[in-house]
Amino acid sequence: MSKTAANPHGRFLLDHGSSLPLILPATLLVLVFLVGPFGYMTYTAMTDLSFANPDQKGAFIGFDNFRQLMRNDPIFWGSFWLTVRFVLAAVCIEFVLGFAIALLIWHFIKRQRLLTTLLLVPMMLAPVAVGLIWRLLLQGDFGMVTYYLHKLGLLSKASAIFSTPSLVMPAIIAIDVWQWTPFVTLIILAGLMSLPKSPFEAATIDGAGPWRQFTDIMLPLLRPIIALVLLLRGIDAFKEFDKVFIMTGGGPGTVSELLSIYAYRVNFKNWNLGYGATVAFMVYLVVLILCSVFYKAVYWKSANIGGR
Amino acid sequence: MAVSFTEVTKRFADGTTALDGLNLKFDLGEFVVLLGPSGSGKTTACRILAGLEHPSEGRIEIDGRDITNLPPRMRGIGMVFQNYALYSHKSVYENIAYPLRIRKTSPAELDRRVKDVAELLQIGSYLHRRPSQLSGGQAQRVAVARALVWEPTICLMDEPLSNLDALLRLHMRTELNRLHKRLNKTFVFVTHDQEEAMTLASRIAILKDGKLVQFDDPRTIYRRPANRFVAEFMGRPAMNTMDGMVENGVFRSGQVTCRVQCPDGPVTLGIRPEQIVLGGDEGFAMKLDVKETVEPDTLLIFTNDKGTLTVRTQRDCDDLAPGQSVNIHFPPDSLHYFDAKTGERLR
Amino acid sequence: MNRSYKILAVGVLACILVITLTPYLWMLLTSFKGRLDILSPDPRWFFTPTLDNYPAVFIDKDYLPLVLNSLIISTASTILSICIGAPAAYVFARTDFPGKEDLFFFFLTTRMAPPISIAVPLFMFFTLLGLTDTVYAVVIAHTTFNLSLVVWMMRGFFAEIPREIDEAAMMDGRSRLGAFIRVIIPMAAPGVAATAVLCFILSWNEFLYAFILVAFEGRPLTVGIPGLITPHGTLWGQVAAVAVVATLPILIFTFLVQRHLVRGLTFGAVKG
Repeated sequence: MSKTAANPHGRFLLDHGSSLPLILPATLLVLVFLVGPFGYMTYTAMTDLSFANPDQKGAFIGFDNFRQLMRNDPIFWGSFWLTVRFVLAAVCIEFVLGFAIALLIWHFIKRQRLLTTLLLVPMMLAPVAVGLIWRLLLQGDFGMVTYYLHKLGLLSKASAIFSTPSLVMPAIIAIDVWQWTPFVTLIILAGLMSLPKSPFEAATIDGAGPWRQFTDIMLPLLRPIIALVLLLRGIDAFKEFDKVFIMTGGGPGTVSELLSIYAYRVNFKNWNLGYGATVAFMVYLVVLILCSVFYKAVYWKSANIGGR
Repeated sequence: MAVSFTEVTKRFADGTTALDGLNLKFDLGEFVVLLGPSGSGKTTACRILAGLEHPSEGRIEIDGRDITNLPPRMRGIGMVFQNYALYSHKSVYENIAYPLRIRKTSPAELDRRVKDVAELLQIGSYLHRRPSQLSGGQAQRVAVARALVWEPTICLMDEPLSNLDALLRLHMRTELNRLHKRLNKTFVFVTHDQEEAMTLASRIAILKDGKLVQFDDPRTIYRRPANRFVAEFMGRPAMNTMDGMVENGVFRSGQVTCRVQCPDGPVTLGIRPEQIVLGGDEGFAMKLDVKETVEPDTLLIFTNDKGTLTVRTQRDCDDLAPGQSVNIHFPPDSLHYFDAKTGERLR
Repeated sequence: MNRSYKILAVGVLACILVITLTPYLWMLLTSFKGRLDILSPDPRWFFTPTLDNYPAVFIDKDYLPLVLNSLIISTASTILSICIGAPAAYVFARTDFPGKEDLFFFFLTTRMAPPISIAVPLFMFFTLLGLTDTVYAVVIAHTTFNLSLVVWMMRGFFAEIPREIDEAAMMDGRSRLGAFIRVIIPMAAPGVAATAVLCFILSWNEFLYAFILVAFEGRPLTVGIPGLITPHGTLWGQVAAVAVVATLPILIFTFLVQRHLVRGLTFGAVKG
């Protein structure tokens, strides 16, 4: 960054050196409290540190933990694929539903303010509170939703959904859909509102009907926004912890043990910090990959939606 | 063989009336220019003909067939948009081919037609590019190509040149003129630029406040403007108009005095700046206020308490300086008379 | 035909709205219910409301300090992240330097980092500093993860202000920093406010960092919630009361900044 002043190509509004004090605190804070810990975690991942076993004081063991994880940890891989399935199912349903709702609002509702504001409610609630709400609603003996599902014949008996292994993941996906579909709706709606009118008019003149306008014009123009929504949701869903932790704690057994919850268990239930760091590292790695896709594919393109 | 607007009115939801009982009729094969200041309804008229807007009242016909309620794709009309409205995610080739793809043209025919029209508009070498890689002029040509490729009977152009820089605009203007001669299609062209209208149109429809004011060929519009509005709108610099009184065949307005052939009473007199004669001993004297040289012409602006008088001349004006008194003469043939109240042309 | 489609669409949207809002409404109702009404096997929509749950949990169970902790943590971390993040965002909006976009992206990755991967080493780090179990630990953690949001969001707001404004202010005799503080910040005030509110909401709602960093002293409301749930005999009325207090202020805030929310939630990529 000391090169700042030396770069002859940039347009410098800031006086020499005066940009440094402005940007330095932010950079330092992130370095100390995020990169530092991350580096430490990476180091810990290569040790045998465990609070549960007094013999494991944190000796350096190289990549043993990673080898163990890749080859001999069926629980990790079970959890990994569970997470992948959860992300795919939840994000796909949210996307299709959210897009459809956005189209409905865009097409039929003129005064959208109140409606979109109310739609915001689920996603602005603390995820912990969302977990609580649904835990209450899905109680076996007095849960409101359980009761109506039973009345509608969708549930054979009014039992607690979260203690029925086969129903746990579908319920968690449904709850994630409930919470985050409005997010997709809002973003897509913002995209729809920002679409230029003229390509659609041109397509009308060119003879395209509504369906062709949708597939030939609208979807391609919305592509950056669609990619953005899918990636943001994908990253968030992959990190999912709070709701599931409150609702099931990963159970019954490990039926709903998503990666974050597994990492939590290894670290704070088993106190196996070395191996826990390895798991956490893997979670970060996946998110980092998704994140760089987000950056490359989405951010800079979305700046000029519509174009000429 | 004609396009006709009958009593077409368009009111928007916000209460503005864009068109107010427009009546307009022209033949196929013409180059019609809809001209007017902003808010005159020219673009609305164009969009109603395209089918993008629906008239509140009135009827549109092509060849005697009522198309008022026909969807745009059934009208056989192509359109060039002001901002070009190219599909930014498709290549130039696909942009041009799109109307043909919708009409399920066979691949060979489609390819031939796209290449033909690209050739015609000299964009053959950009076919693989994206719209974002085109200059304004090239994007313009692509838009025209897309509008013409499926050979519609009518081609609408909504201020297509207004986003181009001055030089390119002149060039495209010539190009459009040539295109019209060659294709012999009906062009309907919307603009607020009277010079564009004059050079392109076979007939100019001048709109004001949603009504047709005059519909004539450019020469008639220039020489016999139907009212004071047209007179002042067409020509640059604008026609001089003066409100005054005629007494005993002599018109007076401030220092302006001249012999006229019209009955006594109030009248508005008009004369084009380029038709005023300087010097000589006829006429009246006025004080020169500002001198602007626009080679090869010189604009002389005279001011008195009743307003200003602009003169455009090609003669050498080095001898004139602001503040100087100059003799001015209005040749009788070049005078226009308008009703002092309504502004309508008197004869 | 067109009209009936519209009625159908409005109907569908109304149903969606009901599904969206009912769960929260139910929680709200539950917080005013007595034990019998809560445990009734068939849902009770109408009942005699009681206010007992609120004092029972906030006074008797001493949850009131948690509200205070939440307030302190959210307010402090918001102020800090704005004060540190806004100048950085301004630099990103106004200057070019080698590696600028990489540094910008780096801020994003910190935001996207799964809390579970950062929280563990952070926990060890704070143990070393003796900060665990204090609000400071949570304030620092929240400031750090909100920082990238501030940088990303504010860059857009600053970029929308023409450079000529800075230049005019400097021609008028202000220093660069003076132009930023006296001219640019006031002009971007709505953006600053929206960003701040969003930071506040995210900090208030955050669970995992706080859960790991503070066990008892200094824990915010979100961390207090799991403690109320027991395998048997959970007092749902009190749980609901806590949940209402933990969410209602946020909803009010949300309605205030609704206009800028889309932008914040997409890190400035969608203007909304």
